[in-house]
Amino acid sequence: MAKLRAQLAGGDQPDHWEAQLRKGALEMAALACLWQGRLYGLEIIRFLETHSSLVLAEGTIYPILTRLKAEGLLTSEWVEAEAGHPRKYYSLTEAGRQRLRLMAEAWTSFSGGLSRLLEPVLAQKENYQ
Amino acid sequence: MTTEMQIDSYLTTLRTHLGPLTIGEREEIVREIAAHVRDSAEESGASVETVLARLGPADELAAQYRDGLLIRQASRSISPLKLLRATLRLATKGVSGVVVFFLAIFGYLMGGGLVLTGLIKPIFPANTGVWFNDERFVSSGTLFPAPAPPAHEVLGMWYIPLALTVGSLALLFTTWAIRTSLRISQRWQARL
Repeated sequence: MAKLRAQLAGGDQPDHWEAQLRKGALEMAALACLWQGRLYGLEIIRFLETHSSLVLAEGTIYPILTRLKAEGLLTSEWVEAEAGHPRKYYSLTEAGRQRLRLMAEAWTSFSGGLSRLLEPVLAQKENYQ
Repeated sequence: MTTEMQIDSYLTTLRTHLGPLTIGEREEIVREIAAHVRDSAEESGASVETVLARLGPADELAAQYRDGLLIRQASRSISPLKLLRATLRLATKGVSGVVVFFLAIFGYLMGGGLVLTGLIKPIFPANTGVWFNDERFVSSGTLFPAPAPPAHEVLGMWYIPLALTVGSLALLFTTWAIRTSLRISQRWQARL
């Protein structure tokens, strides 16, 4: 019960809310990394770190990639590398490209609308400082 | 412990905790994680300890794969047992999971109960039905003893098709609702 109550209370904290937001975007972010070509897991992690502010526990990405593959959005292939061991490369399927396009459109219109809504909030904060 | 031993021990723990997966799936995961550890250590010059710490504990990593599989399989299944098991797993992770679990139990009990009484009606016709006293609802279902007069049963044999239809619809709706919740929940399982 105590745990339940803690989680209910956690719902009001901004950092909990932000974590939910990041989790929701993670699937789209992972797909977006692969838009320009195939990458292996570690490359996807580094791509997310450099191209977005999404820093995650490194283990997290692998189960997500497995799920996206099971859903038919990704395919994978093992490629021999100079490193001496093969690497598992992921690429978008046609269904994955389609899904990502829809997600990108929805995301852009959603965040654009919210940014307009939030403009006065951020403007006022600057005035006070 | 040498670095090779550290990696081996991590991968062994991972493999052990990936029990429910097929051997093929399990080995593919272990191979991929092994490649990650080598690449990550080489690329950043970080120690194997650091790389393994950044991956998170092996049993937790395995649990993420297992939960993913459990929920994925259940969200395509119609078996109440599989669906309830996945819902129970979800219930350990947050309030919304608990809500889904109790709604699922309620839906199954209601739907299953209605279908069952519909099937029992031909055997105990006098004890199964919907009873009213004038305009006021008294009781419904299969009751021993049946409500005494002035309460009277209003549906007669119509109870059978009605109970079967409404009960089946409740079961279908419950199944659909659980599968939808499971599918949505997959997106929120990630650990940051």
